[in-house]
Amino acid sequence: MNKRLECIDAGSEYCPCYLAETGDCITCSILRGKDFCDCNWRGSCIYSEFVWNNHTKKDGRKIYSSKIVEKKLLSNEVYLLKIETTKTLARQLKQIGSYIFIRGKDMPHFFDVPMSVMESNEKEGYIYILYKTLGSKTKNLNLSDKILIRGPYWNGIYGLKNIKKLQNNNCLLIARGVAQSPTLLLINKIIKNNSVTLILDKGKLEDNLILEYLKEKDIEIFFLDTMKYEGKEKIKEILINKNIDFVFSAGSDVLHKNIIEIIDKINSNIKIAATNNSEMCCGEGVCGSCSTHLDEYGSVKGCKTQIDIRKLIKRRVNID
Amino acid sequence: MTKVIVIGGGWAGCSAAITAKKAGGDVTIIEKTDMLLGLGNVGGIMRNNGRYTAAEESIGLGAKELFNICDKNSRHKNVDFPGHKHASLYDVNKIEPLVKKLLKDMDIKILICKRVIDIIKTKNKIAKVILSDESELEGDVFIETTGSTGPMGNCLKYGNGCAMCILRCPSFGPRVSITERCGIEDILGQRNNGSYGAFSGSCKLNKETLSCNLKKRLNEEGVVILNVPKEDVNLEKLDLKVCQQYSLREFAEKIILLDTGHAKLMTPFYPLDKLRKIKGLEKVKFEDPYSGGIGNSIRYLSIAPRYNNMKVKDIDNLLCGGEKSGFFVGHTEAIVTGSLAGHNSIRLSLGMPLLELPRNLASGDIIAYANEEIKTKEGLKKRFTFAGSIYFDRMKKIGLYSTNKEEIKNNLLRLGLLNIYEDKIV
Repeated sequence: MNKRLECIDAGSEYCPCYLAETGDCITCSILRGKDFCDCNWRGSCIYSEFVWNNHTKKDGRKIYSSKIVEKKLLSNEVYLLKIETTKTLARQLKQIGSYIFIRGKDMPHFFDVPMSVMESNEKEGYIYILYKTLGSKTKNLNLSDKILIRGPYWNGIYGLKNIKKLQNNNCLLIARGVAQSPTLLLINKIIKNNSVTLILDKGKLEDNLILEYLKEKDIEIFFLDTMKYEGKEKIKEILINKNIDFVFSAGSDVLHKNIIEIIDKINSNIKIAATNNSEMCCGEGVCGSCSTHLDEYGSVKGCKTQIDIRKLIKRRVNID
Repeated sequence: MTKVIVIGGGWAGCSAAITAKKAGGDVTIIEKTDMLLGLGNVGGIMRNNGRYTAAEESIGLGAKELFNICDKNSRHKNVDFPGHKHASLYDVNKIEPLVKKLLKDMDIKILICKRVIDIIKTKNKIAKVILSDESELEGDVFIETTGSTGPMGNCLKYGNGCAMCILRCPSFGPRVSITERCGIEDILGQRNNGSYGAFSGSCKLNKETLSCNLKKRLNEEGVVILNVPKEDVNLEKLDLKVCQQYSLREFAEKIILLDTGHAKLMTPFYPLDKLRKIKGLEKVKFEDPYSGGIGNSIRYLSIAPRYNNMKVKDIDNLLCGGEKSGFFVGHTEAIVTGSLAGHNSIRLSLGMPLLELPRNLASGDIIAYANEEIKTKEGLKKRFTFAGSIYFDRMKKIGLYSTNKEEIKNNLLRLGLLNIYEDKIV
């Protein structure tokens, strides 16, 4: 019996992709070499699209040479970049979980690093990204005023279906360190129809970087160290007192694990979404750097596949 | 009370729900589209040839409701057309709301626009079905009447692509084979050339787009036969069709229209421009499938291995009916198999012996015969219907064909089966 997986790109303008051509489509059983249909239906038939496209993939993502309009050193090694994009790309990057690959202008393609989009302005055509320099990729990002962007990609958050259903829910968002950045798109998306409580944890940073973007928003904010006992106790208290039914965890896999443990002790029916911390290189489900082996599914590509965060964390944190 | 979940609300599912309800079950039908009856919304032919016998058998067994609705809403009765006698043509534009009302009045729960995508099994039993909205539904016994048609990828791989038929997969999502989800391999039908599946046979023309004269004739007589221009006769196409009872030379050389509310065209995917060359069809449009000139749905891709009492092999609480249960063609065949599955669902839940219809009834014989044939290589290419082709020949040969209502009723009485579906078991 096949377990069906959900590809974030299914039905988009980039579907079918290379994986259809190689017989490895995440969603379509026929494009995986099976004889018959057995997919996690997303409203369009990938096989049909593939045949109509002459048995080839659709055009892939473009690489844009973009201007860095603004560069701010926010605190120790943490940068905020405002990058010029086409209005189309900015629009495509408005959905929650959006990310892009970027690299310094003169660097070869293997310097591509995935970055969550913090804010996107489709009217004027720019995006903001926030990052901390850590390794060889990020150290080379802003050496000139030009940067190479590849995108849009969308699988930056696991549990998107839980987010899409939110309506009149009591949401708790827990954002730690630079993972505060993708939380902003989410806040903007859900704030109109839900009650939102936010926990900000500086993590290894000096400040809570998205604070200034939250002015005049109707959000109750707590400042905690989520890794400490007191922080965890406070999270428990908030979950119970505010009758929380949705939690977003933005941070490392260890944070995800802690939060899931707390939730499951209180009410395992609480819906969860979390940042996707897979290490990604190509974003197309090809290179394998983001692969995780899950019992029921085999090898799953994190860059494109929506995975149940509970299953993923169980696997990943145990290995770590 | 036994909770019976019927998956698929076509003719087979509706008939299963009715007999399960009569036997005392708490019955829920889950249907993926916004209408019951599935292909019954574009079919319409009843009582032709051996279907007359089968209809009377079902009525005698106690599954009379759906046949009564069809009879009452027939636009034409006792119609003959090439190879077929005494057909009734029900009005496809009226039938669905009437069946829905009947089921509701019988207190059968109907979930529309709900699609089963998976099951949860404990040992060899289905515990729950999972719907596409992620909700779950528990049941004691399950009946799969999901058919064997589509979805889009299959219709493309084995046919000419989605022709936008009544099943409307793009809007309501694909059919999911419950047996396959249970880990049971589907049996697949083949065409004469060995490829899988078969094209659904007929399509509908919008009656308003026929010439006034043709429309008038069709409304009055129920059947109109037109000549196909010689250069357009295509005998090969007959081989593609599901409905072997209509795979006759006449159906390639003639255009046969039946009045089922629309104008049922007994030829598969006749290109529109060629169709419009025929007198009276100059302005004609397809009604179902919308792209009826290009193709049609592909069927017989998902048959469950079953016993003659309709229980699916290797799953303790799953029965099947309709096209899911064999290479059957037609509404009557769906109702016959569905009714038996529904009745047996209650017996199964009580641990009673399941009813098997004897082979001296056409209904019992077709169920058993189809099951024998499906095990043979050649049998995968055969289709079974009371209405024609090999099975009707068999009916005539072994004396199962009758249009004598009294005789059929007496036969059931003699067998001790009269009104057996009417018995409340729990």
